[in-house]
Amino acid sequence: MSFRFSVAVIICLLLVVTNTIVLIDDYEGRLASYNTAVRKHQIDPDMVRTYSALQIKIDRPPNPLSIFNQGLDRRLGNSLVIYYTYVPALWDTVSHSADNPFLSLLSSIDLVFIFQVILSLLALLFAYDAVAGEREDGTLRLMLTTPISRSTILLAKYIAAMICLIVPLIISLLLTLILFAESGSLNFSGDDWLRMGGILLTSTVYLSLFYLIGLLVSTTTRRTATALMLSMLIWGTLVMVYPSLSVFLANRLMPLNESKLKSAYREMEQIWGAFEREREDFLKKDPVEGEEINFNVKGVIMTPSISNSNEAKLQYHISRWADWDNIFPESEEQIPHVLAFYEFIEPKRLRAAEKTWQVRAQALEQNYIRKANFTRNMMRFSPAAMYDLATEAWAGTDFDGVEDFMVAAQQYRQTILRYYRDKDAFSSRQWFAVDKGAVSWDDLPEFSYQRAEASTSALRAMPDVAILFLINVGLFLAAFLIFVKQEI
Amino acid sequence: MVLHIAKRELYDHLNSLRFAFTVVLFLALMIANAIGHFGEYNIRLTEYRKKVATSLDTMKGHTDSLFSLMLNGPGQLYKKPSALTFCADGGERFLPEYVEARNYGWMRSWQAPGEKPVTIQNIWHLTYPQSNPNLWDITPDYTNISWVAIISLVLPFIAILFTFDAIAGEREQGTLRLTLSNSVPRDLVLVGKFLGAFLSIGIPFVIAVLINLFLLYTAGGVPLGANEWGRLGLILLVALIYLSIFIALGLLVSSRAKRSSVSLTILLLIWVVWVVLTPSTLGSLVSGLQPTKTIEELDSYRWQQRKNLNAQYPLGKGDGPTRAIPATEMTLLWAEYVKKEAQLKEQLHQEHLTDQISQINRARTITRISPASIVQYTIESLAGTGFSHHLSFLEAVHRYAPEFRQFLLDTDGADPKSPHAPYVPEGASESPVRFSEIPKFEDSNRVSTDLNAALMDILLLVLFFVVSFALAYLSFLRVDVL
Repeated sequence: MSFRFSVAVIICLLLVVTNTIVLIDDYEGRLASYNTAVRKHQIDPDMVRTYSALQIKIDRPPNPLSIFNQGLDRRLGNSLVIYYTYVPALWDTVSHSADNPFLSLLSSIDLVFIFQVILSLLALLFAYDAVAGEREDGTLRLMLTTPISRSTILLAKYIAAMICLIVPLIISLLLTLILFAESGSLNFSGDDWLRMGGILLTSTVYLSLFYLIGLLVSTTTRRTATALMLSMLIWGTLVMVYPSLSVFLANRLMPLNESKLKSAYREMEQIWGAFEREREDFLKKDPVEGEEINFNVKGVIMTPSISNSNEAKLQYHISRWADWDNIFPESEEQIPHVLAFYEFIEPKRLRAAEKTWQVRAQALEQNYIRKANFTRNMMRFSPAAMYDLATEAWAGTDFDGVEDFMVAAQQYRQTILRYYRDKDAFSSRQWFAVDKGAVSWDDLPEFSYQRAEASTSALRAMPDVAILFLINVGLFLAAFLIFVKQEI
Repeated sequence: MVLHIAKRELYDHLNSLRFAFTVVLFLALMIANAIGHFGEYNIRLTEYRKKVATSLDTMKGHTDSLFSLMLNGPGQLYKKPSALTFCADGGERFLPEYVEARNYGWMRSWQAPGEKPVTIQNIWHLTYPQSNPNLWDITPDYTNISWVAIISLVLPFIAILFTFDAIAGEREQGTLRLTLSNSVPRDLVLVGKFLGAFLSIGIPFVIAVLINLFLLYTAGGVPLGANEWGRLGLILLVALIYLSIFIALGLLVSSRAKRSSVSLTILLLIWVVWVVLTPSTLGSLVSGLQPTKTIEELDSYRWQQRKNLNAQYPLGKGDGPTRAIPATEMTLLWAEYVKKEAQLKEQLHQEHLTDQISQINRARTITRISPASIVQYTIESLAGTGFSHHLSFLEAVHRYAPEFRQFLLDTDGADPKSPHAPYVPEGASESPVRFSEIPKFEDSNRVSTDLNAALMDILLLVLFFVVSFALAYLSFLRVDVL
């Protein structure tokens, strides 16, 4: 059609193609490192032999839809140790990839960002002279002499422009899909197709919103030059400046509640302090001399202790796993005491872990999560940010999507605890010793994680999409009312 | 004459909507930047000092014997925060802020029948943190509102808004013909238009910058000495050169385009592609071409290298080191092994680091086809933040490590009671070390190195400007007025 249309479409397609290639490459890299990690993190029966030594590393697979919107998928930690002494949270994750840490310096661009910037620009470039231009040329007057009503003219302009605007969007998506098919490493489920449909829908609503902003500007201004300038200023503010500005300020100005974090940490320390006291009391009452570490048992004995604490991340737990290789016969009479000790202490440890989690979950929620949510809400004053957040939710790369994995991890820990209970692990000899044979991990439940269903994603994306839609309606009504009452 | 045209252009702009928008935008961004960085430097500096003090305390705890110092090393070496972080945040939240120079304790012990048990311990070496310290940050991704963002993204956008109709618009209205009919040379018209746009963007920008600095200096706790002012002056200069590039580019496109709307479309697309998208897309594309070793490759490579080294030494058998003076062959052998082992591990870590750095450097070289990247790198160098500061920090670490090692050897050499076979406890001096004599690490922000790093980039920017201005000039001389 026009010059601006063809140039914009060609550039949009070019950018989509190059970025899709980069993004697929990046996804494949992350998938490979995920697969490596999963292989490496399988339980090695030569290394993990007792129940108490069972630390299972689980990994979060990369989300193929992160190609559309990376969200938090790529950035957050993706490897986690499941252990009975603490309830895992996002703050316990590490990164399993051998990523070059400096790579984060090169910001990467996802497809939604390209749409967000280029398609909104394209929409405005379409709209700014829709009314003002025809008014300047005098064709508007001519058109109104025909019996076509003003509302029909406005609606026809809107529909025609939207069709033109959706074309580059659809072509971009088709090209992306062709590149996906070409790469072969991306396997999409039926749910993923629904999600992509959701992203397409949201993109269309977003496009239409910017077209309507342009149309409103065009109906209210006398000259196209003014309309163009005004549109560009609005675009610069809404798309480029405001999202970053709001996040920056919200991030800087909403402080973490340091005292609450500190008091939570003290509380966690107290929980484990009480646990330690109970342990010491039990050992004092125990008629057998010797520390927990070996109870005077002779043999080849390994009892490393792990106490993990980090105040900023609110980590606190104390654990001691044991792996006694060989116990000399003269020590056999000590064993009942050891058994009694573990049978007493391990349920207490579990309770301490649960209590710690209650304190920790609340403190994390009230600080980090609340702050992030506040920041997101501040962003929402810009439709571009809303579009970003909605597509993030569709793709499942938003915070809720990552939380789903954490919830699955916590459930898996419960499964492991149930497994312990079924095996009576705390009161079994294999809790600490392998002299009567190591634990066979054949019936150890495996971790599995499925991304949330498309309907869940849809629910998460819905508020933003609905608000975008309502803004559309409002803008159209405003443009319509102004246009109908206007003198030509 | 030039001044006259420039003045007319300036007055024209002062009355326009875009000028008002520009003033508001610059002020809003610069004030937001200042407020966002209030007190930040002091917090970071206090944190830095606290960490350094903790690290030095740990080191002090190892001064009871020279060997203990030899075993544990200087501890964590920290990167010093720059006072000018508000200019260029440089992705510092993604960069590690320290290098480990300490012991990752392993030991090997064995006992031959009828002999004393032998224990060999490893000693300290440099390692580099591998994961991004930002793994738990759940706030949305965003561009930090630093000077870099304001300069590299917003400034060209404003330049485009001021120049897209400079010539095309006048041609549409017919005033260009009128001006040129008054025997005004064309080149003067162009220079006048250039100056008019430059001043009407540059003046509000500089005012916003001064307000920003005033706020930060009076209320934000940012110390501004001669050093900082020099750096800030250069950053401002770079910003103005960068602005000139886009004004010239705007005039070029405006003189070629038939209509101002076409001119704006082209300029906006150039801006989106060249300024917003090229730096990231190209960076990711280039860095993806030659990825560094994966964890698996790295592990097996390191394992192979260590195995090769271990094959040369009788591990797990034979005698251990003794305290005999002069040192026995066995003592020397084990001392050599421990030293070589630490050297090898450090070398392997450095190899990987070099790979990672060159991966980034390749990407940075290629992205320099976008002046937005050049301006970002220059301002980061001048502000003493970001990747270039990280490199100079690593260099400082690599200068310090041999110095520390030499100090250990010299001190050991000066002790007559030592068998002079350091790196094993039996072979090294056991006398305490005076803490004050130990060389301490301190990261510094040197103007000369930072300026050196920035110089090529500044020249490149000037080149971009000269080319775009020359093109605009030629194009305007040949343009048809109708």
